[in-house]
Amino acid sequence: MVRKDLSITFMGVKFPNPFCLSSSPVGNCYDMCAKAYRSGWGGVVFKTIGPKHYLIDEVSPRFDALTKEAEPFVGFKNMEQIAEHSLEENLADLRRLKKEFPNNVLIASIMGSNEKDWEELARLVTEAGADMIELNFSCPQMTSHAMGSDVGSNPELCRKYCAAVRRSTKLPFMAKMTPNITDMCDPAIASIEGGADGIAAINTIKSIINVDLDKKVGLPIINGKSSISGYSGKAVKPVALRFIQQMKTNPKLKNVDISGIGGIETWEDAAEFILLGCKNLQVTTGIMQYGYRIVEDMKNGLEHYMEEQGVDHLEDLVGLANKNIIPAEELDRDYIVYPEINSDKCVGCGRCVISCYDGAHQAMEWNKETRRPNCNHDKCVGCLLCGLVCPVGAIKPGERVLKPGRKEKNLKKMVLQETVEKL
Amino acid sequence: MSKKYQEEYEVGFTPRLVMEEASRCLLCLDAPCSTSCPAGTDPAKFIRSLRFKNVKGAAETVRINNVLGAICARVCPTERYCQEGCSRSGIDKPIDIGRIQRYITDFEDATKMEILEVKEPNGKKVAVIGSGPSGLTVAAELAKEGFKVTIYEKEAKAGGYLRYGIPEYRLPNEIVDKEIKRIVELGVDIVLNTKVGEDVKIEELRKENDAVILAVGASEGKMLPMFENNRKVIKAVDWLKKTKARKGNVKVPNNVLVIGGGDVAMDVVTSLKLLGCPHVTDVVYEQFSEFRASKKELTGAQAEGVTIIDGYVPTAVARGGIVKFKHRVIPAELKIKADLIILAVGQVSNVNGLGVTLEKGEVNQKGCRVEGTNVFFAGDIGHGEKTVVYGVRSGKEVAFEVKRFLGGKK
Ligand SMILES: Cc1cc2nc3c(=O)[nH]c(=O)nc-3n(C[C@H](O)[C@H](O)[C@H](O)COP(=O)(O)OP(=O)(O)OC[C@H]3O[C@@H](n4cnc5c(N)ncnc54)[C@H](O)[C@@H]3O)c2cc1C
Ligand SMILES: Cc1cc2nc3c(=O)[nH]c(=O)nc-3n(C[C@H](O)[C@H](O)[C@H](O)COP(=O)(O)O)c2cc1C
Ligand code: SF4
Ligand code: SF4
Ligand code: SF4
Repeated sequence: MVRKDLSITFMGVKFPNPFCLSSSPVGNCYDMCAKAYRSGWGGVVFKTIGPKHYLIDEVSPRFDALTKEAEPFVGFKNMEQIAEHSLEENLADLRRLKKEFPNNVLIASIMGSNEKDWEELARLVTEAGADMIELNFSCPQMTSHAMGSDVGSNPELCRKYCAAVRRSTKLPFMAKMTPNITDMCDPAIASIEGGADGIAAINTIKSIINVDLDKKVGLPIINGKSSISGYSGKAVKPVALRFIQQMKTNPKLKNVDISGIGGIETWEDAAEFILLGCKNLQVTTGIMQYGYRIVEDMKNGLEHYMEEQGVDHLEDLVGLANKNIIPAEELDRDYIVYPEINSDKCVGCGRCVISCYDGAHQAMEWNKETRRPNCNHDKCVGCLLCGLVCPVGAIKPGERVLKPGRKEKNLKKMVLQETVEKL
Repeated sequence: MSKKYQEEYEVGFTPRLVMEEASRCLLCLDAPCSTSCPAGTDPAKFIRSLRFKNVKGAAETVRINNVLGAICARVCPTERYCQEGCSRSGIDKPIDIGRIQRYITDFEDATKMEILEVKEPNGKKVAVIGSGPSGLTVAAELAKEGFKVTIYEKEAKAGGYLRYGIPEYRLPNEIVDKEIKRIVELGVDIVLNTKVGEDVKIEELRKENDAVILAVGASEGKMLPMFENNRKVIKAVDWLKKTKARKGNVKVPNNVLVIGGGDVAMDVVTSLKLLGCPHVTDVVYEQFSEFRASKKELTGAQAEGVTIIDGYVPTAVARGGIVKFKHRVIPAELKIKADLIILAVGQVSNVNGLGVTLEKGEVNQKGCRVEGTNVFFAGDIGHGEKTVVYGVRSGKEVAFEVKRFLGGKK
């Protein structure tokens, strides 16, 4: 039985494990958060609490999913705004949660429309007993332009609102960033300068994920119409990782604690966020699809990974991959890796040949008699598209050769991936 | 010639295929698969772990819940247990849980995981008689709790029917060895070639130990009076034992008659075919509609080309291996001459010298303890179904009761 300590300190607060509900319907009320804690989540970011004057009026239905082949949920779209419960109810829930689960971390997410709102909300959730605060600068479907992702894409507003919150609370707080922006570092730096202790990223991506072909309207359909709104789930993980890596390698942000969000479902996803510098992790879509129970395998899987890596503190894994993400112009372009075909594994489908012809360099040749492929090195550029499409993992990176005219180097010593196979 | 017999009949999943199968799982609420596994192996949980890329966690779930997880994965009649109520059947067909469990335990073995842990010794001693699935399980469960456990086994090797009954192509001895090794590593001693009731007295064991557990199974084949002392006749379990012990290197005659229609008969006829026997005829008392053998075993046997005749009872046997049958319902008769006759008409327990009596093959006591004594019983001689996974269940139950019994006394 593996037993590793998953506790980690994030923004000065010790979490029993890094896994948190992200602010969304998965942490909408006392009962849900209590069940989540009991299921093993280290912390909860409560559903974003707004000012009293902002009236919430939601649409129905409010979700849709992007599918691919038999996969029911590649990405997820929601049209939901912030908490539907009243401010009083939310504050009462926060108080009760902190009282009954003192060892788990309680994070209040807030969103105001002006400095006064932000100050007021920060004060209220501090009084209610939250351990830390998250400022929601990033919901892309608010019905007010003074709120949500319009704030998060404006560094000056981020700075101003962070300063307002700083004035009214001593709790550590993080600013939650929107990915609907070219460079996340600007608003993140402004937030830190305004007084934030950390950054959370990402919120959802503005999207239209499906269009109904009969009614000619995006999904979900709300009385014949739809809107651009937030996209989340597995499909957004790459976008989240990219923003996080960029922030973690920015000189002004490299020592700032980051909470990673976006498409986390498995311990492998979690480990990726950690290796790129996150000390905390948040999840919504995975829970909406599968339930709080997914934390069991995320925790246990991460413990096994720590065991394999020989580390006793999760901290020791944070950011280990950042140094290996470098600008494209600095990559080693001196060699080619040719595909190696395992003819025992090959089932003779020819997909590698099709993809190589139609999507690469016409190097994969086809023996019609034996129904087996053969790679012509004169044409092959070593892109290894063939390996990605092979349904049985019969193609892996093989022989490495120096490109003509390049300086001699030890090709055996290069770090290469062992396989391109995707399960 | 015996290669087919030696190789596992069913091929295991590759990583991709196991993920495809796990992806078919609906990840149910109150999962019916988990509630209907007799041993509490919790398939819904291990499938979910696999689905979420935590294969090591899946292996922990299997192993902690079921110390014979790799064996059950291969031999459980899953269509009657975990797969029976599988919600996926509402769409197409149940999840292949046995094969997923096999993938996970193969992974555990390949990565040399050491999952089970032993508590501090508690100073108490327990003797287990019989090293079949129930004896092994009760021994492992008690060893985990800190008991000093010794198993006594009359045969030269441990495993009961796992070792000497279920044929190699369904359950390789290599797998049995590995499962037993894990249990021995928990500190369990196995004393072989020792028949309790003859070589050792049960009274001695009762005195020397805090508790004694009878797990002697139904390890002898039944004989029908008309075949007594017939040189052409052998009992199914004896033939299977000899065949497995010799890794299939046995002489098979040209024409074999098998009598019986349960899983044991199916193992005999299929083994014969895999060993190259050209003519295998199985005459069965039940009609197909009331067959006892699992569908998988039956179709497996038929696929190998076994002739199965249903609804006939033997009426007489003449010299030279000629057996006469008559149909149970319709006026019909049958006469078959064979080089070898194998009787697969059930197994019986031998509890001589063990201080208990049987009723319909089960110890005639309620629960799992002989009233007023420190003797418990598990497995095929206990109450419940006669399968490996039931042996595991009963082993777990008895371990729990022994713990309660001994804990409560002090
Ligand atoms: C051919 C065959 C195929 C089967 N196939 C399947 C299958 O596919 N799936 C399934 O679930 N079940 C199957 N079964 C049933 C299953 O094997 C039994 O239900 C199970 O083995 C019972 O376990 P047990 O521990 O009670 O006894 P056993 O496995 O019978 O073990 C009892 C052990 O006790 C030993 N012993 C007996 N008396 C003494 C004594 N006096 N002193 C010392 N040792 C003693 C015996 O030598 C033996 O090793 C099969 C059975 C047979 C015969
Ligand atoms: C239905 C839904 C409602 C959400 N509501 C909020 C919210 O109130 N406040 C907030 O900060 N983020 C909200 N989010 C964004 C999530 O917290 C999270 O940042 C995003 O979904 C990406 O993570 P995921 O891929 O794990 O879902 C919501 C997301 C969804 C799907
Ligand atoms: S894609 Fe893979 S399996 Fe198909 S022909 Fe190419 S190597 Fe063979
Ligand atoms: S132990 Fe047997 S019955 Fe239980 S889940 Fe595994 S295969 Fe199914
Ligand atoms: S019952 Fe079937 S579909 Fe449901 S969890 Fe179990 S294996 Fe999966």
